[in-house]
Amino acid sequence: MQHVELRNIEKRFGSTHALRSANLELRRGEIHALLGENGAGKTSLVRVLFGMIQPDAGEILLDGMPAQIESPADALDKGIALVHQHSLLVPAFTVAENLLLGDRDAFFLSPSKRDQRAADWLERYGFYLDPKTRVETLSVAKQQRLMIVRALSRQVNLLILDEPTAVLAPSEVEELMRLLDRLRGEGMSVVFISHKMEEISSLCDRVTLLRGGETVLSQPLADLNVRDLAQALLGTDPPPPLQPPRSTPGELALRLDDLRAPGLQLSLELRRGEILGIAGIDGNGQDVLEEILAGLCVPEKGRLELAAPPVGILPGDRERSGFIAELSLAENLALSHAAEPHNSPLYRSALGMHWLLSQKLERATRAAITRHQIKGSARDLAGDLSGGNQQKLCVARALGSNPQVLVAINPTRGLDLKSTRELRNELRAHAEAGGAVLLISTDLDEVLEISTRVEVLFRGALSPLDSAEPSRERIGALMLGGTGS
Amino acid sequence: MRARSAIAPLMAVLGALLALACMLLLLGHDPWAATLALVDGAFGNRHAVETTLLRTGPLLLIGLAVALSFRAGIWNIGGEGQLYIGALVATTVATKLTSVLPLVLIAGMLGGALWSGLAALLRAHRGVSEVLSTILLNFIAVLLVSYAVQGPLQEVRGTYPQTDALPSAAMLGVIPGFQRVHWGLAGTLVLALFAWRFLFYSAAGLRLRAIGFAPRVAEYARVRISREIYQVFILAGMLAGLAGALEVTGVTGRLFRDLSAGYGFTAIAVAMLARLHPLAVVPAALFFAGLDTGAAAMQRVAAVPAVTVRIVEALVILFSIGFALPRRKA
Ligand SMILES: Nc1ncnc2c1ncn2[C@@H]1O[C@H](COP(=O)(O)OP(=O)(O)OP(=O)(O)O)[C@@H](O)[C@H]1O
Ligand SMILES: [Mg+2]
Repeated sequence: MQHVELRNIEKRFGSTHALRSANLELRRGEIHALLGENGAGKTSLVRVLFGMIQPDAGEILLDGMPAQIESPADALDKGIALVHQHSLLVPAFTVAENLLLGDRDAFFLSPSKRDQRAADWLERYGFYLDPKTRVETLSVAKQQRLMIVRALSRQVNLLILDEPTAVLAPSEVEELMRLLDRLRGEGMSVVFISHKMEEISSLCDRVTLLRGGETVLSQPLADLNVRDLAQALLGTDPPPPLQPPRSTPGELALRLDDLRAPGLQLSLELRRGEILGIAGIDGNGQDVLEEILAGLCVPEKGRLELAAPPVGILPGDRERSGFIAELSLAENLALSHAAEPHNSPLYRSALGMHWLLSQKLERATRAAITRHQIKGSARDLAGDLSGGNQQKLCVARALGSNPQVLVAINPTRGLDLKSTRELRNELRAHAEAGGAVLLISTDLDEVLEISTRVEVLFRGALSPLDSAEPSRERIGALMLGGTGS
Repeated sequence: MRARSAIAPLMAVLGALLALACMLLLLGHDPWAATLALVDGAFGNRHAVETTLLRTGPLLLIGLAVALSFRAGIWNIGGEGQLYIGALVATTVATKLTSVLPLVLIAGMLGGALWSGLAALLRAHRGVSEVLSTILLNFIAVLLVSYAVQGPLQEVRGTYPQTDALPSAAMLGVIPGFQRVHWGLAGTLVLALFAWRFLFYSAAGLRLRAIGFAPRVAEYARVRISREIYQVFILAGMLAGLAGALEVTGVTGRLFRDLSAGYGFTAIAVAMLARLHPLAVVPAALFFAGLDTGAAAMQRVAAVPAVTVRIVEALVILFSIGFALPRRKA
């Protein structure tokens, strides 16, 4: 018997038909991949299963019995937990407080007993973490592990993970896979959403493919390899990998000369026509570098020299820095012009102020939606877009003011196969058209695929690679702090 | 979406009125008669309508100031104090310097801006929360006015704690067809329209909303947050200061201690009920002004204590907050 069955689920949000006829059959103790393009309805479908949204039509069966899932609390009672992509922990609380939040029995425990209980849960899933640590000091990966352990501590038997690996480094992905594999051994069912074919093919038992809110394929993964999967998703053969831009590096576009800031000490030169790839594991100074490039942080020594300011910036944390969920798509695009409206075509000055030309904005937004293939319309709230489409909106914002220098930090995070390729192509085109791209990414494959030059960021310092064809192994070693030779 | 956003405030008003009815029943009054007396007292005759409209003006102006401040994430509740300083400066200028009306009004706006600017300075340089500073500045403003009308600005006769009457050149004209409603009210309506265009269709308005929603995203968009914060404080202070100037030049003709009937505080309820939308501030201000005017009539006619209306005002705030919250957080 199936553990969970979702039959012909339908859901509309206003005029958007997010789910048309989505089906999902989940067996007990399997890891089930949920695959589909950006905006296909993956997040919506698992939100139905977790009781966050109520479907307009369709049936939910739990262990063969028709069921209704009224709310997330109800879902937890029925043994279903969803781990969101972004953190839903209380930053100022400790690990133990977060872990036992909402646990009625733990409410009256003394702090030391509570810490002990939290430590027991953590240890049970091989996660050695001091229960007294405050959550805001933890890395993204650790926060995610904590959310998983919190879900498990509620005695669930179905764990849903919405793009858990998007923010993880390769070694952290492996750790997560080992944990999921172990949970499967203990009889846990898992729904796993990801855009990465390799992960799906090495971890999952079966796959369900959504397209436009409909289930178009559901089958065991044993019959499919990575290529088949990509083919099923794209509908065509996957294209060959891209090449670095063909342009030759020209004049200087950006320079950081002996720059010093907390946890950062580096020099860097970026020229027009090139993509400079900066590879590195998260937490090696990328955040501070991003803030300096964005102008949020003034370095202790040295400064940001730009031939044609300002830079266009595609932030690493889109939820926090990339867009405003409560504003429409059009307003988010206009915001990039609002700080300097005098030289923007979207604003007209009168009465000593700058007034929006609504029709121009509407047209510009529609052009951006078409160019970046965003699934949504100009008036939709940015917060209602799917994760991948939010990322595309950030791309549109970064490119909106035609910057010479584009800083892209983990630009393809959350993008599907096709959009990933298109964005990388766009970065190449930017360089080939005389712009300069600084690509800061934790994804080594991405850096190697399209960079003219590669440098490695480790503990706030850069190691340039002089050889024309740096080997993967050498870069990998440098990322871990080795000498690379 | 648009249509639905009007429902919550209406529910808040209805809910509060229902609660009032229940309360009146419990107190042994006839709720229907009391409500009729209230409505009649607010809108039932020419005199009542004009009183209500005159009260709408300051509520509207400060309601706009509160809406703009709150939208930017600035909890400026100093409207009352800014109104008083606006009135004080306008009166001083009109009685001592010049009776050119536009200059008097501008002086009032500058007075309000000075008072809110103090809160902005304290926040920017000393990290003092504006909630605290604006409340304290309210007290200081009221006391300053109190001192002025008993000291340096007291009328020549020296009988009452009030200033001399403003020169008639410094007084606003009455709109033809009315007996007391002055041109300032018309100007106020234009300002509401302007605030709406400003908030939703200007670069500065977008920056203002952006820093309220997500300051970090605004910073990434190269918005200079501290500058924006100053601007919002100044703008809000000017609106409240103008309310004070209009009060002396359009209604009272002189400054005295209890110039404001708590407009600066009621305006917070006005802005909340309007869900911080400048155009919705107009009917919300009218509603609260009507409540205030009708309360006296209700007390007279139905013998219901006017303070019950204060309870309704508080309930409207609570209900507006309650209905504004999303039912379930996604
Ligand atoms: N609350 C909402 N209001 C309006 N539209 C919504 C809402 N939630 C989702 N949508 C729309 O439903 C569609 C499906 O979104 P969903 O988030 O399920 O996609 P997804 O498959 O998870 O995509 P991604 O890979 O980009 O995360 C999108 O077009 C999205 O804009
Ligand atoms: Mg999603």
